[in-house]
Amino acid sequence: MEGTRRVLITGVSRFWGCQLAKRLEADASIERIVAVDTAPPPIELRRTDFVRADTRHSLIGKLLHAIDIDTVVHAGLIVDPRRAGARRVHETNVIGTMNLIAACSAPDSAVRKLVVKSSTAVYGAEAEDPSIWSEDMVRRAPARDSFTRDLDEVEGYVRDFSLRKPDAVTTLLRFANVLGPTHDTPFSRLFDLPVIPTVIGFDPRLQFVHEADAVAALEEAVLRDHPGTYNVAGSGVVILSQAVRMIGKPNLPVLPFVGAGTLVGVINRLVPLGFPTHLTRLLQFGRVVDTSALRDRFGLTLRYSTPETVVEHARSRRARNAMPDRPHDARETELEDFLRTQSRPSANGHRRTARSRPRARSTRRSTRRVPGGER
Amino acid sequence: MSQTTGRATSSANGQRRLPSLQTLTRELPAAAMTATGNLALRLRELTGRDVIDLESLQDLVSVGYRAVDVSKQHRAGKFDVDDYGYDREYTNTIVPLFRLLYRRYWRVDTTGLEHVPRRGGALLVSNHSGVLPFDGAMIEVAVIDETDRYPRALVASFFGTMPMLSWFLRRTGQTLGHPTDALRLLRDGELVLVFPEGVRGTGKLYSERYRLRRFGRGGFVEMALRAGVPIVPISVVGSEEIYPMLADLQPLARLFGFPYFPITPTYPWLGALGLIPLPTKWRIRFHPPVRTDEYGAGAADDPSLVMRVSDEVRDTIQAGLMADLMERRSIFRG
Repeated sequence: MEGTRRVLITGVSRFWGCQLAKRLEADASIERIVAVDTAPPPIELRRTDFVRADTRHSLIGKLLHAIDIDTVVHAGLIVDPRRAGARRVHETNVIGTMNLIAACSAPDSAVRKLVVKSSTAVYGAEAEDPSIWSEDMVRRAPARDSFTRDLDEVEGYVRDFSLRKPDAVTTLLRFANVLGPTHDTPFSRLFDLPVIPTVIGFDPRLQFVHEADAVAALEEAVLRDHPGTYNVAGSGVVILSQAVRMIGKPNLPVLPFVGAGTLVGVINRLVPLGFPTHLTRLLQFGRVVDTSALRDRFGLTLRYSTPETVVEHARSRRARNAMPDRPHDARETELEDFLRTQSRPSANGHRRTARSRPRARSTRRSTRRVPGGER
Repeated sequence: MSQTTGRATSSANGQRRLPSLQTLTRELPAAAMTATGNLALRLRELTGRDVIDLESLQDLVSVGYRAVDVSKQHRAGKFDVDDYGYDREYTNTIVPLFRLLYRRYWRVDTTGLEHVPRRGGALLVSNHSGVLPFDGAMIEVAVIDETDRYPRALVASFFGTMPMLSWFLRRTGQTLGHPTDALRLLRDGELVLVFPEGVRGTGKLYSERYRLRRFGRGGFVEMALRAGVPIVPISVVGSEEIYPMLADLQPLARLFGFPYFPITPTYPWLGALGLIPLPTKWRIRFHPPVRTDEYGAGAADDPSLVMRVSDEVRDTIQAGLMADLMERRSIFRG
């Protein structure tokens, strides 16, 4: 069957966009994939056309029109504000979405499907929150931080689109915090710390979704029609102290239960921990969402439950620490390249240059580190 | 080391064998129990009454053992909690402590437990009082012991902000008083315990005891109607005297963010000692259930019906309180 669908993906320079593009490349029903971002994708994509463009610019509308895009996947929302300053997060999330959706809802646009990646952070995390959030429930307290406020606005634009274009399929996916071997998230950074700081006297319920499941949910939304809003989180819950034990690290209750956010904000200024302040409320009060709609209406059974996601994450971290040859450090990649170039001349019987010796020694040191890195 | 030397001496001398350290630790608790048992028997012979209550002692020991067991499991990362954070294992270790209070401290007389449905959802509705919500704990112990079902109480949302207490309540199956939580639990066939008086009930002055406050806005009836489950009214007598609240210092309460700041004959004068509740004699009476399934769909959206059922439940509880109070001779003896 010859593919007819033309998909545009935003945010392809980051995990979500590029992984989705890679998955969609394997699908025959998709004729063309256009990826838009201000930076190129980090992985090699075979048949995706990368266009360096900013979603904040109205040129995006012309692009949609010129290629006759029928499906737009907005995966470009920044949900991990460490990656950019507050200003840029606001610009990308709110203005970018507004502009993209304006282009999609233009009278001459051929877009008949919009898939937006949002976050369960829209529900907030307060002491008096309901235990379980379903998609139709709204936070009572106003948003405390600019990130959550922005997310509200973004979802507002998506709702506007679904009202303005009722015959188009609008899918809004709210993802829980992601864990997995490749994706760098606030929680993966928290769990990478030698001891894990928690809030004194609080042990919240948390939910995670495995990165493979997260991408699978986006892919499913593109390939089949599922209008509506869906929470995407692994089934079940973990308690923070339980998660910390699964990771195998000590739990250090040091954050005060009053003003933890402010404290983390100050610490973040001094040492870049990379744990955004809006997540400290999550560390205190937790958040659990109802995933029955995802299972029953969306028809997707995730591979990993929430506890399994944490266990899997812990396993992948241990594996990463034990595996020396995986280039997860820019310096080590450089080193490997260097070794590759060095091996040929030495095989030919050439003498090593004096310059290469200290570097070669550093190689040995790095390999010697390996047994220690295990377990 | 000690094991080998112990064996060596015993075999060499052929005298009484010295127990090894392992057997000692294994047998010590049992030996201690037997010793206390003997002591209790002798004391009873001497004084003619039970000085040491063996049953309670056993309960306490079992609590200790279980707590060690559960904490071992938790350290291994083996938690089994539901979406609300309820940990049945953990709850089972705590229940004996409250059972002790139930049987020995407040000597609770419970009647009408046959009205609690053995399966399916039901809404248990009770009067509320006593500054700290011990009445909820006692109702739960009564229901657990009789039916082996674990009621889930809805607690005031301000408990969510309290360190330690917030996770303790969640771990033991309580959840915050949010209507959607309650509806979800009822539809899942759970027993849900609510106190429609809320903090207005627990913050009652001593002079206003057993006078029911307004039952909210009838939200609990709405939930029962939506879920189509029966409402079981419960009246608790005795709980309203455990902390005789003489005054409520609102300015201090506001300062600490509490709903009230109680002044009792012992609190805050005696500090933490003032938190010890008085050993009153309690009666818990479960009344025949009020059925809601016959009203049909849409009944929950009819405010007049909701208020009528709410008043019916409230009147049942108030009448129950009055009947038990009239029978009662003494606050402490019953």
